[in-house]
Amino acid sequence: MNGSGSAGESSAAPPARTVVDARGSWCPGPLMELVRVIKEEPVGTEFELWSSDEGSRKDIPVWLEKAGHQLVEFRPDAGFDRFVVRKTHE
Amino acid sequence: MPAPSAPPAAQMAVVLTESAADKLLPFATLVSGAVAMGFRVDVFASYWGLTAFQKAAARPEVSPGHGEPGARLEAALNAPRAPSWKALLEMAKSIGELHIYACSQSMEILGLQKEDLDPLVESVTGVATFLDTTRSAHPTYFV
Repeated sequence: MNGSGSAGESSAAPPARTVVDARGSWCPGPLMELVRVIKEEPVGTEFELWSSDEGSRKDIPVWLEKAGHQLVEFRPDAGFDRFVVRKTHE
Repeated sequence: MPAPSAPPAAQMAVVLTESAADKLLPFATLVSGAVAMGFRVDVFASYWGLTAFQKAAARPEVSPGHGEPGARLEAALNAPRAPSWKALLEMAKSIGELHIYACSQSMEILGLQKEDLDPLVESVTGVATFLDTTRSAHPTYFV
């Protein structure tokens, strides 16, 4: 209750990223995790979803397209993929 | 420009009659994926699909006759992070619209009461009510 109305858009600092580690989870687990956290966090939040499910490579972009959120970056790593996602609206 | 958060209504209907692990997992995968994609999903649980929702139900087993692939599935289901089919449905319910109904005919023949069932099952209905509720559903699946 500090009375500040700032929405956190005031500086050039990179947005905090919430890591969602869904490695080892089967389809559609990683997608379900992403949907859940996006519902809970405020607009502008960036998430880094880690998934080892091959289906996620198509499922995550398809869902983002449908839901209207942004895929900021896709980065394959050793044995899993990183999807950086930004929540763009409620 | 319309708000992206208000997609056109979509509804999927599923009739579940089986209780083996290799039926329940694809069922729960389909249902939870649909809910994640914004479908409202209505499920009619009948016979063994209904007994799978009994509070006293044993852990589902892989149906016999699948040899090595069946054994692999059994082992995968025993893995520490393996999701249970019910956990998928619970997660679906927490992020979207999922309604599960118990078939009244099955309830009567099997001697079940609503209290015997997992709370995921919201009510006991007849087939006509289910069909009325899902009149415009597309697609419809039978598992």
